[in-house]
Amino acid sequence: MRSGDSTTIDVPESSAIAKGKAPLIAVAKQEKGGWKRGVAIFDFILRLGAIVAALAAASTMGTSDETLPFFTQFFQFEASYDDLPTFQFFVIAMAIVSGYLVLSLPFSIVSIVRPHAVAPRLLLLILDTVALTLNTSAGAAAAAIVYLAHNGNPNTNWLAICQQFGDFCQKVSGAVVASFVSVVVFMFLILLSALAIRKA
Amino acid sequence: MKAEQLEAGEANSKQSTSSSTQRVLLINRGLSVMDLVLRIIGAVGSLGSAVAMGTTDQTLPSFIQFIQFNAQYNDIPMFTFFVIANSMVCAYLGLSLPMSIFHIIRSSAAINSRIILVIFDTVMMALLTAGASAAAAIVYLAHNGNASANWFAFCQQFNSFCERTSGSLIGSFGGILVFMLLIITSAVAISRR
Repeated sequence: MRSGDSTTIDVPESSAIAKGKAPLIAVAKQEKGGWKRGVAIFDFILRLGAIVAALAAASTMGTSDETLPFFTQFFQFEASYDDLPTFQFFVIAMAIVSGYLVLSLPFSIVSIVRPHAVAPRLLLLILDTVALTLNTSAGAAAAAIVYLAHNGNPNTNWLAICQQFGDFCQKVSGAVVASFVSVVVFMFLILLSALAIRKA
Repeated sequence: MKAEQLEAGEANSKQSTSSSTQRVLLINRGLSVMDLVLRIIGAVGSLGSAVAMGTTDQTLPSFIQFIQFNAQYNDIPMFTFFVIANSMVCAYLGLSLPMSIFHIIRSSAAINSRIILVIFDTVMMALLTAGASAAAAIVYLAHNGNASANWFAFCQQFNSFCERTSGSLIGSFGGILVFMLLIITSAVAISRR
Protein backbone atom coordinates (compact mmCIF):
# COMPACT_ATOMS: atom_id res chain seq x y z
CA MET A 1 0.00 0.00 0.00
CA ARG A 2 1.34 3.43 -0.90
CA SER A 3 0.60 6.47 1.28
CA GLY A 4 2.29 9.69 0.23
CA ASP A 5 6.07 9.56 -0.45
CA SER A 6 6.99 6.64 1.74
CA THR A 7 6.20 3.03 1.08
CA THR A 8 4.99 0.91 3.94
CA ILE A 9 4.58 -2.77 3.86
CA ASP A 10 2.03 -4.16 6.23
CA VAL A 11 2.93 -7.52 7.65
CA PRO A 12 0.16 -8.94 9.77
CA GLU A 13 1.33 -10.17 13.16
CA SER A 14 1.14 -13.87 13.69
CA SER A 15 -1.67 -15.01 15.91
CA ALA A 16 0.83 -16.63 18.24
CA ILE A 17 2.32 -13.25 19.21
CA ALA A 18 -1.14 -12.03 20.13
CA LYS A 19 -1.53 -15.06 22.34
CA GLY A 20 1.94 -14.51 23.79
CA LYS A 21 3.22 -17.92 22.79
CA ALA A 22 5.59 -16.96 19.94
CA PRO A 23 8.77 -19.08 20.12
CA LEU A 24 11.97 -17.04 20.38
CA ILE A 25 15.62 -18.04 20.62
CA ALA A 26 14.94 -20.45 23.44
CA VAL A 27 13.99 -23.20 20.99
CA ALA A 28 17.49 -23.29 19.46
CA LYS A 29 19.11 -23.34 22.91
CA GLN A 30 17.06 -26.31 24.04
CA GLU A 31 17.95 -28.26 20.88
CA LYS A 32 21.64 -27.51 21.40
CA GLY A 33 21.48 -28.64 25.03
CA GLY A 34 20.49 -32.11 23.88
CA TRP A 35 23.92 -33.56 23.27
CA LYS A 36 25.38 -31.98 26.39
CA ARG A 37 22.66 -33.55 28.47
CA GLY A 38 23.40 -36.92 26.85
CA VAL A 39 27.07 -36.51 27.65
CA ALA A 40 26.20 -35.66 31.26
CA ILE A 41 24.01 -38.76 31.59
CA PHE A 42 26.81 -40.92 30.17
CA ASP A 43 29.21 -39.24 32.61
CA PHE A 44 26.90 -40.18 35.50
CA ILE A 45 26.69 -43.82 34.39
CA LEU A 46 30.49 -43.99 33.99
CA ARG A 47 30.90 -42.59 37.46
CA LEU A 48 28.71 -45.37 38.86
CA GLY A 49 30.88 -47.91 37.07
CA ALA A 50 34.05 -46.31 38.45
CA ILE A 51 32.62 -46.45 41.98
CA VAL A 52 32.06 -50.19 41.58
CA ALA A 53 35.58 -50.75 40.26
CA ALA A 54 37.31 -48.63 42.90
CA LEU A 55 35.34 -50.17 45.77
CA ALA A 56 36.03 -53.65 44.42
CA ALA A 57 39.75 -52.89 44.29
CA ALA A 58 39.88 -51.52 47.82
CA SER A 59 37.80 -54.31 49.33
CA THR A 60 39.56 -57.15 47.48
CA MET A 61 42.94 -55.90 48.61
CA GLY A 62 41.70 -55.24 52.13
CA THR A 63 40.34 -58.75 52.61
CA SER A 64 43.24 -60.60 51.06
CA ASP A 65 44.48 -62.45 54.15
CA GLU A 66 45.90 -65.91 53.75
CA THR A 67 47.32 -68.24 56.34
CA LEU A 68 49.09 -71.38 55.24
CA PRO A 69 48.18 -74.50 57.22
CA PHE A 70 51.73 -75.34 58.41
CA PHE A 71 54.53 -73.62 60.26
CA THR A 72 58.21 -73.80 61.07
CA GLN A 73 60.44 -71.73 63.32
CA PHE A 74 62.07 -69.71 60.58
CA PHE A 75 59.40 -68.57 58.15
CA GLN A 76 56.19 -66.70 58.46
CA PHE A 77 53.23 -68.39 56.81
CA GLU A 78 50.70 -65.61 56.93
CA ALA A 79 50.24 -63.00 54.28
CA SER A 80 48.06 -59.93 54.50
CA TYR A 81 47.97 -56.55 52.79
CA ASP A 82 49.26 -55.11 56.06
CA ASP A 83 52.66 -56.67 55.51
CA LEU A 84 53.48 -54.45 52.56
CA PRO A 85 53.23 -50.65 52.98
CA THR A 86 52.59 -50.27 49.26
CA PHE A 87 49.42 -52.33 49.60
CA GLN A 88 48.37 -50.25 52.59
CA PHE A 89 48.78 -47.14 50.43
CA PHE A 90 46.76 -48.88 47.72
CA VAL A 91 43.81 -49.62 50.02
CA ILE A 92 43.79 -46.10 51.45
CA ALA A 93 44.11 -44.45 48.02
CA MET A 94 41.35 -46.55 46.44
CA ALA A 95 39.11 -45.80 49.40
CA ILE A 96 39.74 -42.07 48.94
CA VAL A 97 39.05 -42.35 45.20
CA SER A 98 35.76 -44.19 45.71
CA GLY A 99 34.73 -41.70 48.39
CA TYR A 100 35.48 -38.83 46.00
CA LEU A 101 33.46 -40.54 43.24
CA VAL A 102 30.44 -40.93 45.50
CA LEU A 103 30.69 -37.27 46.54
CA SER A 104 30.96 -36.17 42.91
CA LEU A 105 27.65 -37.78 41.94
CA PRO A 106 25.59 -34.69 42.95
CA PHE A 107 27.75 -32.47 40.72
CA SER A 108 27.15 -34.89 37.88
CA ILE A 109 23.41 -34.70 38.48
CA VAL A 110 23.61 -30.90 38.48
CA SER A 111 25.30 -30.99 35.09
CA ILE A 112 22.50 -33.25 33.80
CA VAL A 113 19.84 -30.86 35.04
CA ARG A 114 21.64 -27.76 33.75
CA PRO A 115 23.61 -28.85 30.68
CA HIS A 116 24.97 -25.39 29.89
CA ALA A 117 26.46 -24.63 33.28
CA VAL A 118 30.25 -24.59 32.97
CA ALA A 119 31.23 -24.38 36.65
CA PRO A 120 30.19 -27.89 37.81
CA ARG A 121 31.81 -29.53 34.81
CA LEU A 122 35.03 -27.56 35.24
CA LEU A 123 35.16 -28.43 38.93
CA LEU A 124 34.56 -32.10 38.13
CA LEU A 125 37.30 -32.03 35.50
CA ILE A 126 39.86 -30.57 37.89
CA LEU A 127 38.99 -32.98 40.71
CA ASP A 128 38.87 -35.92 38.29
CA THR A 129 42.43 -35.10 37.20
CA VAL A 130 43.64 -35.20 40.81
CA ALA A 131 41.75 -38.43 41.46
CA LEU A 132 43.15 -39.97 38.28
CA THR A 133 46.68 -39.22 39.48
CA LEU A 134 46.03 -40.78 42.88
CA ASN A 135 44.37 -43.83 41.35
CA THR A 136 47.14 -44.42 38.79
CA SER A 137 49.81 -43.95 41.42
CA ALA A 138 48.25 -46.50 43.77
CA GLY A 139 47.58 -48.99 40.97
CA ALA A 140 51.06 -48.76 39.50
CA ALA A 141 52.86 -49.06 42.83
CA ALA A 142 50.77 -52.12 43.76
CA ALA A 143 51.37 -53.54 40.28
CA ALA A 144 55.13 -53.23 40.81
CA ILE A 145 54.90 -55.19 44.05
CA VAL A 146 52.58 -57.78 42.48
CA TYR A 147 55.05 -58.22 39.63
CA LEU A 148 57.80 -58.76 42.17
CA ALA A 149 55.65 -61.23 44.06
CA HIS A 150 55.00 -63.21 40.90
CA ASN A 151 58.49 -63.12 39.40
CA GLY A 152 60.95 -62.11 42.07
CA ASN A 153 64.22 -60.47 41.14
CA PRO A 154 67.40 -62.54 40.85
CA ASN A 155 69.69 -59.49 40.82
CA THR A 156 68.56 -58.26 44.22
CA ASN A 157 67.90 -61.71 45.65
CA TRP A 158 64.19 -61.08 46.10
CA LEU A 159 62.19 -64.29 46.01
CA ALA A 160 58.78 -64.65 44.42
CA ILE A 161 56.32 -65.15 47.26
CA CYS A 162 53.43 -66.11 44.99
CA GLN A 163 54.62 -69.69 44.84
CA GLN A 164 53.73 -70.09 48.48
CA PHE A 165 50.76 -67.75 48.79
CA GLY A 166 48.61 -68.56 45.77
CA ASP A 167 45.27 -67.20 46.96
CA PHE A 168 46.78 -64.02 48.33
CA CYS A 169 48.49 -63.38 45.02
CA GLN A 170 45.32 -63.98 43.03
CA LYS A 171 43.27 -61.57 45.12
CA VAL A 172 45.92 -58.90 45.07
CA SER A 173 46.35 -59.17 41.29
CA GLY A 174 42.58 -58.91 40.85
CA ALA A 175 42.53 -55.76 42.96
CA VAL A 176 45.23 -54.17 40.81
CA VAL A 177 43.27 -55.01 37.63
CA ALA A 178 40.12 -53.41 39.10
CA SER A 179 42.05 -50.25 39.91
CA PHE A 180 43.31 -49.98 36.34
CA VAL A 181 39.71 -50.36 35.09
CA SER A 182 38.92 -47.38 37.30
CA VAL A 183 41.84 -45.48 35.73
CA VAL A 184 40.47 -46.05 32.22
CA VAL A 185 37.02 -44.89 33.33
CA PHE A 186 38.57 -41.74 34.79
CA MET A 187 40.27 -40.99 31.49
CA PHE A 188 36.92 -41.24 29.72
CA LEU A 189 35.32 -39.00 32.34
CA ILE A 190 37.97 -36.32 31.77
CA LEU A 191 37.50 -36.62 28.00
CA LEU A 192 33.72 -36.23 28.32
CA SER A 193 34.05 -33.20 30.57
CA ALA A 194 36.51 -31.59 28.16
CA LEU A 195 34.13 -32.19 25.25
CA ALA A 196 31.08 -30.87 27.04
CA ILE A 197 32.75 -27.78 28.48
CA ARG A 198 32.92 -26.01 25.12
CA LYS A 199 30.66 -23.05 24.53
CA ALA A 200 29.41 -24.59 21.31
CA MET B 1 13.71 8.87 16.76
CA LYS B 2 13.20 5.32 17.76
CA ALA B 3 15.67 4.21 15.10
CA GLU B 4 18.28 6.64 16.43
CA GLN B 5 17.84 5.40 19.96
CA LEU B 6 18.19 1.84 18.79
CA GLU B 7 21.39 2.64 16.94
CA ALA B 8 22.89 4.38 19.97
CA GLY B 9 22.04 1.40 22.11
CA GLU B 10 23.64 -0.96 19.62
CA ALA B 11 26.81 1.11 19.49
CA ASN B 12 27.09 1.13 23.28
CA SER B 13 26.66 -2.61 23.55
CA LYS B 14 29.17 -3.11 20.74
CA GLN B 15 31.80 -1.07 22.59
CA SER B 16 31.31 -2.96 25.83
CA THR B 17 31.42 -6.36 24.10
CA SER B 18 34.60 -5.42 22.23
CA SER B 19 36.42 -4.47 25.46
CA SER B 20 35.25 -7.63 27.21
CA THR B 21 36.22 -9.79 24.22
CA GLN B 22 39.62 -8.11 24.24
CA ARG B 23 40.01 -9.02 27.89
CA VAL B 24 38.93 -12.59 27.21
CA LEU B 25 41.42 -12.84 24.36
CA LEU B 26 44.21 -11.50 26.56
CA ILE B 27 43.46 -14.00 29.29
CA ASN B 28 43.28 -16.82 26.74
CA ARG B 29 46.64 -15.78 25.34
CA GLY B 30 48.09 -15.72 28.86
CA LEU B 31 46.78 -19.24 29.44
CA SER B 32 48.37 -20.42 26.20
CA VAL B 33 51.72 -18.89 27.14
CA MET B 34 51.55 -20.57 30.55
CA ASP B 35 50.77 -23.83 28.72
CA LEU B 36 53.93 -23.44 26.62
CA VAL B 37 56.12 -22.65 29.63
CA LEU B 38 54.74 -25.63 31.55
CA ARG B 39 55.41 -27.92 28.61
CA ILE B 40 59.04 -26.83 28.45
CA ILE B 41 59.46 -27.33 32.20
CA GLY B 42 57.87 -30.78 31.99
CA ALA B 43 60.06 -31.81 29.07
CA VAL B 44 63.22 -30.77 30.92
CA GLY B 45 62.11 -32.52 34.12
CA SER B 46 61.24 -35.82 32.50
CA LEU B 47 64.37 -35.78 30.36
CA GLY B 48 66.46 -35.19 33.48
CA SER B 49 64.75 -38.08 35.24
CA ALA B 50 65.26 -40.46 32.34
CA VAL B 51 68.92 -39.55 32.03
CA ALA B 52 69.55 -39.70 35.77
CA MET B 53 68.00 -43.16 36.04
CA GLY B 54 69.44 -44.43 32.78
CA THR B 55 73.04 -43.60 33.62
CA THR B 56 73.14 -45.33 36.98
CA ASP B 57 75.89 -47.87 37.26
CA GLN B 58 77.58 -48.85 40.46
CA THR B 59 80.06 -51.62 40.96
CA LEU B 60 81.02 -52.54 44.49
CA PRO B 61 84.64 -53.17 45.30
CA SER B 62 84.79 -56.85 46.17
CA PHE B 63 87.55 -58.92 47.60
CA ILE B 64 86.79 -61.92 45.44
CA GLN B 65 88.30 -61.62 41.99
CA PHE B 66 85.62 -63.42 40.07
CA ILE B 67 82.44 -62.12 41.62
CA GLN B 68 81.40 -58.57 40.77
CA PHE B 69 78.51 -56.84 42.49
CA ASN B 70 77.03 -54.47 39.98
CA ALA B 71 73.80 -52.51 39.95
CA GLN B 72 72.27 -50.93 36.87
CA TYR B 73 68.83 -49.68 36.04
CA ASN B 74 68.51 -52.70 33.73
CA ASP B 75 68.50 -55.09 36.66
CA ILE B 76 65.07 -54.04 37.83
CA PRO B 77 62.24 -54.11 35.24
CA MET B 78 60.37 -51.26 36.97
CA PHE B 79 63.34 -48.96 36.49
CA THR B 80 63.48 -49.92 32.82
CA PHE B 81 59.79 -49.05 32.52
CA PHE B 82 60.52 -45.77 34.33
CA VAL B 83 63.22 -44.80 31.84
CA ILE B 84 61.03 -45.74 28.88
CA ALA B 85 57.99 -43.88 30.23
CA ASN B 86 59.98 -40.73 30.96
CA SER B 87 61.60 -40.79 27.52
CA MET B 88 58.19 -41.17 25.85
CA VAL B 89 56.76 -38.31 27.90
CA CYS B 90 59.72 -36.08 27.06
CA ALA B 91 59.35 -36.85 23.36
CA TYR B 92 55.59 -36.19 23.50
CA LEU B 93 56.08 -32.84 25.25
CA GLY B 94 58.66 -31.84 22.68
CA LEU B 95 56.35 -32.80 19.82
CA SER B 96 53.42 -30.94 21.35
CA LEU B 97 55.35 -27.66 21.59
CA PRO B 98 54.40 -26.59 18.00
CA MET B 99 50.76 -27.22 18.83
CA SER B 100 51.11 -25.05 21.92
CA ILE B 101 52.73 -22.26 19.90
CA PHE B 102 49.86 -22.54 17.40
CA HIS B 103 47.44 -22.04 20.30
CA ILE B 104 49.24 -18.85 21.30
CA ILE B 105 49.02 -17.46 17.80
CA ARG B 106 45.42 -18.43 17.19
CA SER B 107 43.75 -18.36 20.58
CA SER B 108 40.14 -18.43 19.58
CA ALA B 109 39.99 -20.80 16.64
CA ALA B 110 41.67 -23.81 18.19
CA ILE B 111 39.14 -25.57 20.38
CA ASN B 112 39.24 -28.95 18.64
CA SER B 113 43.01 -29.12 18.75
CA ARG B 114 42.93 -28.15 22.42
CA ILE B 115 40.59 -31.06 23.12
CA ILE B 116 42.92 -33.46 21.29
CA LEU B 117 45.81 -32.06 23.33
CA VAL B 118 43.83 -32.65 26.55
CA ILE B 119 43.23 -36.28 25.56
CA PHE B 120 46.89 -36.91 24.85
CA ASP B 121 47.94 -35.04 27.99
CA THR B 122 45.69 -37.28 30.09
CA VAL B 123 47.09 -40.46 28.56
CA MET B 124 50.68 -39.29 28.96
CA MET B 125 50.04 -38.20 32.54
CA ALA B 126 48.70 -41.66 33.36
CA LEU B 127 51.80 -43.24 31.79
CA LEU B 128 54.17 -40.95 33.65
CA THR B 129 52.36 -41.51 36.96
CA ALA B 130 52.48 -45.26 36.47
CA GLY B 131 56.21 -45.23 35.78
CA ALA B 132 57.03 -42.88 38.63
CA SER B 133 54.87 -44.79 41.15
CA ALA B 134 56.25 -48.20 40.21
CA ALA B 135 59.80 -46.89 40.54
CA ALA B 136 58.90 -45.22 43.83
CA ALA B 137 57.56 -48.53 45.19
CA ILE B 138 60.84 -50.24 44.30
CA VAL B 139 62.91 -47.39 45.75
CA TYR B 140 60.94 -47.64 48.97
CA LEU B 141 61.61 -51.38 49.07
CA ALA B 142 65.28 -50.76 48.36
CA HIS B 143 65.54 -48.36 51.28
CA ASN B 144 63.49 -50.32 53.80
CA GLY B 145 63.22 -53.90 52.61
CA ASN B 146 60.38 -56.10 53.76
CA ALA B 147 60.66 -58.54 56.62
CA SER B 148 57.49 -60.49 55.81
CA ALA B 149 58.47 -61.24 52.23
CA ASN B 150 62.15 -61.64 53.09
CA TRP B 151 63.19 -58.93 50.67
CA PHE B 152 66.49 -57.38 51.57
CA ALA B 153 67.06 -53.61 51.37
CA PHE B 154 69.93 -53.32 48.91
CA CYS B 155 70.43 -49.60 49.51
CA GLN B 156 72.68 -50.46 52.42
CA GLN B 157 75.20 -51.86 49.95
CA PHE B 158 74.61 -49.78 46.81
CA ASN B 159 74.59 -46.29 48.24
CA SER B 160 75.25 -44.15 45.19
CA PHE B 161 72.89 -46.23 43.01
CA CYS B 162 70.14 -45.69 45.55
CA GLU B 163 70.74 -41.96 45.82
CA ARG B 164 70.71 -41.56 42.06
CA THR B 165 67.47 -43.50 41.58
CA SER B 166 65.75 -41.70 44.44
CA GLY B 167 66.78 -38.32 43.03
CA SER B 168 65.54 -39.14 39.55
CA LEU B 169 62.06 -39.64 40.97
CA ILE B 170 61.85 -35.96 41.85
CA GLY B 171 61.89 -34.78 38.23
CA SER B 172 59.26 -37.33 37.36
CA PHE B 173 56.87 -36.28 40.11
CA GLY B 174 57.42 -32.67 39.09
CA GLY B 175 56.40 -33.73 35.59
CA ILE B 176 53.18 -35.18 36.99
CA LEU B 177 52.37 -31.86 38.64
CA VAL B 178 53.14 -30.06 35.39
CA PHE B 179 50.74 -32.34 33.52
CA MET B 180 47.96 -31.71 36.04
CA LEU B 181 48.40 -27.96 35.58
CA LEU B 182 48.46 -28.41 31.79
CA ILE B 183 45.15 -30.27 31.77
CA ILE B 184 43.51 -27.73 34.06
CA THR B 185 44.86 -24.81 31.98
CA SER B 186 43.57 -26.37 28.77
CA ALA B 187 40.18 -27.03 30.35
CA VAL B 188 39.86 -23.42 31.51
CA ALA B 189 40.93 -22.20 28.05
CA ILE B 190 38.33 -24.43 26.36
CA SER B 191 35.59 -23.20 28.65
CA ARG B 192 36.41 -19.56 28.09
CA ARG B 193 36.50 -19.71 24.32
